[in-house]
Amino acid sequence: MKDRQILVRDLLLLLAFAGWAMALPHYGSEFVVSMALTCLMYVALSSSWGLFCGSTRYLSLATSAFFGIGAYTSAVALDSLPWLGAIALGAGIATVVAVVMGAAVLHLRGTYFAVLTFGMTELIRHAVTYFEKKVTGTVGRVLTVVPDRDTIYLTVLALALLAVLVSIIVRRSRFGLALMGIGADEQRAQTLGVNTRLIKVAGFAMTAAFAGAVGAAMSVRWTYIDPHTVFNPFIGFQTVLIALIGGAATLWGPLIAAIVFSVLAETLRLQAPQVYMMSLGLLLILSVLYLPGGLASLRWATFSGWWRDGRGWLRGLGSKERKNG
Amino acid sequence: MSLFSWFELIASGLITGGIYALVALGLNLQYGLMRILNIAHGEFLMLGAYLTWMAHTTLGLSPLLMVPVSFLALTALGLVIHTLCFRRLTVTSPNLDIFEARGLMVAFGLMFLVQNFASFMWGGDLRGYDYLAEPVKIGEAQFAGNKLLVFGLALLFSGVLIVLLRFTLLGKGVRALMQSPTGAQLVGIDTQRLHPLMFGIGLGLSGVAGCLLSMAYTITPSMGEPYTVTALIVITLGGFGSMSGALAGGLLLGVVEALGMHFSNPSLKALLSYSVFIAVLLLRPRGLFAK
Repeated sequence: MKDRQILVRDLLLLLAFAGWAMALPHYGSEFVVSMALTCLMYVALSSSWGLFCGSTRYLSLATSAFFGIGAYTSAVALDSLPWLGAIALGAGIATVVAVVMGAAVLHLRGTYFAVLTFGMTELIRHAVTYFEKKVTGTVGRVLTVVPDRDTIYLTVLALALLAVLVSIIVRRSRFGLALMGIGADEQRAQTLGVNTRLIKVAGFAMTAAFAGAVGAAMSVRWTYIDPHTVFNPFIGFQTVLIALIGGAATLWGPLIAAIVFSVLAETLRLQAPQVYMMSLGLLLILSVLYLPGGLASLRWATFSGWWRDGRGWLRGLGSKERKNG
Repeated sequence: MSLFSWFELIASGLITGGIYALVALGLNLQYGLMRILNIAHGEFLMLGAYLTWMAHTTLGLSPLLMVPVSFLALTALGLVIHTLCFRRLTVTSPNLDIFEARGLMVAFGLMFLVQNFASFMWGGDLRGYDYLAEPVKIGEAQFAGNKLLVFGLALLFSGVLIVLLRFTLLGKGVRALMQSPTGAQLVGIDTQRLHPLMFGIGLGLSGVAGCLLSMAYTITPSMGEPYTVTALIVITLGGFGSMSGALAGGLLLGVVEALGMHFSNPSLKALLSYSVFIAVLLLRPRGLFAK
């Protein structure tokens, strides 16, 4: 396929997905719509995560920090600002935090970066908890002014579409190439004249803006928020998980995985929460071990590869036994 | 503030610090040696704690007897996990960076798996038992007997590990492996055998820590995460892979926390330890005591 054809295909797919998701509230039950909302939230989160972290291979665990910041911003600002204003403000504050955080930690790679972003998330969570306890005198906040369900749904849908659209555009731009160059070999990218520092901070801020906006939009769903729910590290983990299992460097991987996960989560979590989490862990391990490129990299060749591996393993066992016997 | 209350404050900080150092031992071995950032460390610690609790409450075994048992049980578990996950990961990863990232993700998976297995098996309630709970007087200060015991054993285990790594042939091999895996293989160290063994011993040590902690604290399936974070902080303070650094880092963190909590307020504790952690990672990523 030519480059242009791929673009047209991606845009058409996105359009079809948008139409289907837009029609869903009109015929789906309450349960289906709430499931779709979670699904869209993770589409937005993990697509935007993959946009930066997938291509540069910087493993950020700070998604829940930006999500929580967005949620708190809209909880505080919704009384005085219109709905879209609150979301924009949430995204803005998350971006500012990301720029500061990125400037401080983006020179570290690999595990250091992952651990640091995790530590900073926890730091922000504890700081907010402490602030609320000491200054505001409460633990959580009750949201009184809440827009109706369809508004929330459409907003999150728009964010999810925007995240995928931005991924499509960025992949075809100089900026996207620079990100991928950093992922392949940072030093080489630098030598070739990429301002890696600026690009990394910009990419990180972009991810954070999406997470902040999604957090701002989702906080009204809960009507009561406290630091423990909105800064829940699990939101960040699950985002990373979805992106990795789907294929962080691919365009459609996070979307596919988000749908699979939401269905799995909603069906399993209510009956057997522990079994759900255990299967999540197992899936993660298996996908890292046997499908490092993610679901989107699944081809017929992958299956035949497993088949060969499995046969080789069995044969290895057999020869060992012959040796022993 | 009187001299006596200073003594009491610092002593209680040191006791907590000793426990921190104990918690960090296993992770230090795994990360320093093999670049496996085992984020599920605290979960295995929790398994050790539950093993001890079960043996003590149902069979009436002494928790002290469970120290070697949980060590062996978790070492065996570690060998199995290494064979199933990390061996393949070592073979398939093109370089160390990717190995680290993938290892971290596998460890996340293990975390979900083990934590939820525990809450599936034993439920989410707080558990605990009384063991040596009566206070012990040292001078005029009073300390809980079980915490003193845990502190003593923590120092003992750290000391044994330091000596083992520094003075025995096995320790020399392990340290060589830490410096350069390829180099170690070239001079004839059997890395294929040493690797799984060290991973297993790392888990075994977290089992020991869990066993000891269950004597002094209550246990739940979700107790692991704070301990993982503490262990991470301690090994960053001490420098990845350095046992004596981790011991000093643990004691230091305990004292800093105790002093900080005394002079500000207790709800700042988490904030304080995360700030120390981030500051050290940013300013001295090789550890406080690195030359």
